[in-house]
Amino acid sequence: MEKHIGCLVMPGDVLDCIKPVEENKKVILGPGLIEDGNFIKISKPGILKFRQPGVYWIDCHQKRYVPAKNDSVIGIITQKPGDIFRVDIGGSELASLSYLSFEGATKRNRPDVKIGDIVYAKLLVANKDMEPELVCIDSHGRSSGMGVIRKGGFLFHCHINLARKLLNPECVVLKQLGRRFKFEIAVGINGRVWVKANNEIQTIAMANAVMASELMNNVQIETMCKKLSKVSSGIDED
Amino acid sequence: MASFIVVKKEDLEKKQNVEPCHTLRCLTSELGCLTRQDGSVSLSQGDTTSLAVVYGPAEVRISRELIDRATVELVYKPKVGLPRPADRKREQIMKSIFEATIITNLHPRSSITIILQETEDLGSNLACCINAACLALLDAAVNMSFMVAAVAVSVADEGQIKLDPSKNDEEKGRASITFVFDSVDLNVVSIVTSGKFSQIEYKAGLELAREASQKVFQFFKDSMSRKLIR
Amino acid sequence: MADQYRIAQPKDYYRQFLEKDVRPDNRGLGEYRATVMNIGCVSTAEGSSLVKIGNTTVMCGIKAEVAEPGVDGKNGYLVPNVELSPLCSANFRPGPPGELAQVLSQNMADLIADSQCVKLENLCVCPGKLVWVLHIDLVCLDYDGNLMDACTLAMMSALKSTSLPVVTVDEESGEIKTDPSSRTLLPVSCCPVSTTLIVFDNKLLLVDPTSEEESLATGAVTVVTEGKNVCSIYKPGGTPLTDKQIRDCIERGFIRGKEARSLIEETLCSVDR
Repeated sequence: MEKHIGCLVMPGDVLDCIKPVEENKKVILGPGLIEDGNFIKISKPGILKFRQPGVYWIDCHQKRYVPAKNDSVIGIITQKPGDIFRVDIGGSELASLSYLSFEGATKRNRPDVKIGDIVYAKLLVANKDMEPELVCIDSHGRSSGMGVIRKGGFLFHCHINLARKLLNPECVVLKQLGRRFKFEIAVGINGRVWVKANNEIQTIAMANAVMASELMNNVQIETMCKKLSKVSSGIDED
Repeated sequence: MASFIVVKKEDLEKKQNVEPCHTLRCLTSELGCLTRQDGSVSLSQGDTTSLAVVYGPAEVRISRELIDRATVELVYKPKVGLPRPADRKREQIMKSIFEATIITNLHPRSSITIILQETEDLGSNLACCINAACLALLDAAVNMSFMVAAVAVSVADEGQIKLDPSKNDEEKGRASITFVFDSVDLNVVSIVTSGKFSQIEYKAGLELAREASQKVFQFFKDSMSRKLIR
Repeated sequence: MADQYRIAQPKDYYRQFLEKDVRPDNRGLGEYRATVMNIGCVSTAEGSSLVKIGNTTVMCGIKAEVAEPGVDGKNGYLVPNVELSPLCSANFRPGPPGELAQVLSQNMADLIADSQCVKLENLCVCPGKLVWVLHIDLVCLDYDGNLMDACTLAMMSALKSTSLPVVTVDEESGEIKTDPSSRTLLPVSCCPVSTTLIVFDNKLLLVDPTSEEESLATGAVTVVTEGKNVCSIYKPGGTPLTDKQIRDCIERGFIRGKEARSLIEETLCSVDR
C-alpha cells in the first residue's frame, strides 16, 4: 500500500493499491488523481502524497493556477462593470467580486476600489463549470485580513509550489527573514506574493530573497539570510 | 559562457552513417527553458531539436470556446518561412493526438495552447516535435489520461529497417513511418507514413518502434524526476 | 420520436443500432455506401470525373498548362487543390481554404508522391525548356463524410482519363506548337485507393463514415493501398488502437482497393474515349 507514496508517478499510471470503494474507509482524492471505473489513475506528473486517514494527492510543479474553493488568493481588479468587480487571479477566466462582500459595505456605503488595485480575497465559488467568485469577508461579515491592499509594496509572481511552501507555517525562509528584517508579506496560493518593507531597496531585497529560496535547502536559505542582513546593515550605515 | 563547436558537413554525415540502426539517438531535454510560459521544453533527439511551449488552461477566444471541454490549439512554426500546407497537416496530426491525451473535460471554456518551434531538422522531425510537446505538457502539469511517445523508423530500399532515422536515411530510404504510442498499453495512437512499404516491413517497424518507445517513456520519467526530486 | 432521439442523444441512438451490428442507414459495420462514378464529364478539362459515395459528391477536373521547369530541368508539376465551399456544407465558410481543405490538398499531394502513380519525369515536354503543370482541382459538391476516399477516387479516375495534346517545340525559333487533334494518354503506373474507418466508442470500427458518424467518432484511420503494398497509413491521433484493430483496417483497405480499382477499370472501359 505504501510503496508508491513519496515516489514519482506519471500520467496514465494506475494506482492498484488504492481501491475507490473499500469497506468502512473513505478515500479522498486530491489534484492529479482521477477515478476511472474501478481504478484510480494519475493525470499529472509529480510525487504521490498521503495523509491520514485517507487523503491522497499529487504534489506537482505547476505555474498555472486553477481556482479551487476556499483558496486565499491575490487578485488584480481589471474591470468595473456595474455592481461587481472583475478580478484577475491567474486562472482561465476572470473572477467576480461583489461590491457588497467587503467589510462594512452596504448599498450606500460602497467600498473604494479602483481598477488596478490589489485585493486579498477568498474563493467562495470555484468549479470548472462556473465563473469563480471571490469574497473579502468571512462568514461573520468581518474582513479577517482580507480586502484591498493599498500601502504600496511590490507584487510578484512565482510558481504555485513556492506559494504553497511560503504558506506552510514551518516555512524556513519567512522565519529567517522575519528574525532579521521588518516587512509585511501576503501570499496568495495562486502564485502571487505581495511584499512591503521600510524602503524600496529592502522591499526588492525581500522579494528577491523569497524568489531565490525556491531552489534552496534550509542551510542555504540560512546562509543567504545571514548574508543579506550583513549587506543591508551596510547599506543602512551609508 | 556560450561556446560553439564547428562541425564540418562531411564529418556530420560520416557520424550519421556509422550509427547503429537499432537504437535511438541520444535524447536530451531542458525543462523550463523559458520562464514566462506555463510549460516549456527544448528537446534534442540526436541533432534534431525542437522547442515546445504550453499555455493553459488559459483564457479562450469566444469563437473557439467549447462549452463542455477545453479547446486544444496547436501552432507549428517551421525554421524558415511561413507555415505551408505540409505544416498544417503536421499541426492537425499533433492537435488530434493531444486532444486524445489531454483530459479536456476537466477545464471547460478554456484553452490549452501548444506552440512548437522547429529549431533543427536532421531527421525524425515529427517524432521529435511530438515528444517535445508531450514533455512540455508534463512540465506544465496539464491533466492527461496518458503520455505519448513518438518513434520514427525508415525502410531502406533493401527492406532494412532503421530506427530513428537521420535526414540522410530518410532521403535515401524508400519509406518512413512515424509511430506514436500511449504509455498505458503501448497501443498505437497515431501513424503517419510516407512512401510505399509492405505489411511485413510495417510489422517489423512497429515492433522495433514499440520497444524503443519504452525508452522514450523512461526518458520522460527521468526528466521529470530531475525536475521534481531535488 | 426517433428523430428527436437521434438529435438529443446521437451516441445512444447509434449504440442501439450498433449493438445489433447494423448502422442507422441499414449498412453493416464494414459496408461501403454505393459508389457511383462518371468519367470525362467535363469536356473542357484534360481529364475529369465525378464520384459519389453515398451522398458525398466530389468533382475532379485536371487542367494542363505548360511552364518552365525548375532547377532539375525535367520534372513537371502536379498541383492538387481541394475546395470546400459553403456550397457543400454549412460547416464551411467562404474565403481562403480552411484547415480541412488544406490538409486534404496536402494529403492528395502526399498520395501522389508516396505512390509514384504519376512519374514527374513523364510530364517533361522538352528537357530544360518545357514541362507540363497539371492542376488537379477537386471540388466538393455535397459533403456527407469520408471526403478523403471520395477525393482519392475522383483524383485517380480523372488522372487515368487524362490525355495531353502533343506539343512540339521548334528548335530554332523556340516556338511552341500544339496539335489538338492528336492526344496521348497520361501514363499512370498504379492506382492507389484509400479506405477510411472511424472508431466509435473507443472500440468499434466503422467503414466509410457519414458526416454524422464522423462527428461522433473518437478517432479515424485512413489506409491507402496499391497492389500488394501499403502506400500510407494515416491515423491522426484519436483513440489508441491495438495491433489487431490496425491489421483489420489494413485488410479492409486491401479489399476495398480491389473493389475500387475494378470500378475504375469498368467505368473507363464503358466511356467512349
